[in-house]
Amino acid sequence: MLAELQFDSLQEFLAMGGYAFNVWSVYALFAVFVFANLALPLRRRRLILRRLAARGDLAQSPAAAEQSGWEVSTVGEELQEQQREQKEQREQEEQGTKP
Amino acid sequence: MAGRWQWLHRLGSPRWFYATTTRWLPWLAGAMALLLAVGTVWALLYLPPDYQQGDTSRILVVHVAVAGASLSFFPLMAVAGTVTLVWRIKLADMVAKNAAPLGAWFSFLTLATGSIWGSVSWGTWWEWTDSRLVSMLFQFFLLLGVISLRAALDNSATAARACALLSIVGCINVVVIKYSVQWWNTLHQPPSPISMQVGSPNGPEFWVATAIMAVAVYLFLALSLILATRNEILERESKAQWVRELALGAT
Repeated sequence: MLAELQFDSLQEFLAMGGYAFNVWSVYALFAVFVFANLALPLRRRRLILRRLAARGDLAQSPAAAEQSGWEVSTVGEELQEQQREQKEQREQEEQGTKP
Repeated sequence: MAGRWQWLHRLGSPRWFYATTTRWLPWLAGAMALLLAVGTVWALLYLPPDYQQGDTSRILVVHVAVAGASLSFFPLMAVAGTVTLVWRIKLADMVAKNAAPLGAWFSFLTLATGSIWGSVSWGTWWEWTDSRLVSMLFQFFLLLGVISLRAALDNSATAARACALLSIVGCINVVVIKYSVQWWNTLHQPPSPISMQVGSPNGPEFWVATAIMAVAVYLFLALSLILATRNEILERESKAQWVRELALGAT
């Protein structure tokens, strides 16, 4: 038979025919190895994203974003629009107070 | 020139890599978890004990799978290094950079599991005269060397080129590891020919379990390396608009 259960009891399974230390330490090392090399990059990802989001200059000028080589998304365009409107408003106000 | 290699540059775009792997990750993780579970349960519960090794043959399922995959790091880093040297595609270097520490983990686990197995079957934890053992230890140190080399060089482009060269040269050692058991057969056994006969040495009950575990380990290698490379992309491209939006959307 290709697949037959090899142990009759839990004690027998844990004893591993007298090689409990060898078998279980290998599988424990393997488990730590797999877990660590998935959990650590995932944890680092969370830290990176949190740091980037917390950074004050996130809503950076679209010009700089353009310079980075990536296409500028609509978020940047909206921001640009907003800034242009504010500037025009300021200029109109200044003109209104001058004469 | 520009036209012929355009596909490579498109593949080398960090943003493209990030978006594509986002779609792959759940499938990769699912397949890995499934095969890891099947391989482990088979090895621990269903694999018949070897007539000489007893239950320590269960160790070999993990050991062979991890050892086999550990040999793929230098060729992988050499290919990535060549792409870095010839086409200067940054993504290739990001993959190579993150492959080195993962490869060191793989090499260490290969040595540790082999040693724990050998302490029973060979009656010794370590043997300096065995070429397979020593060449695998050398691979572990070479990978630590690649990591230190990158850390030691301030200029990231120079570091990338130096690591690429060391990775290409390091492939020689992979050939040595592979054929060491044939060239200088001392303690470590050569690979057992696979057999279709149940009950024979390396019969299907053993090698099918090992093959399943090997595929699981390769999927794990890919998954871990992709996760680490994605982090590298987020850091190196942190000024790009799409990364900013991702960071804002994720928190």
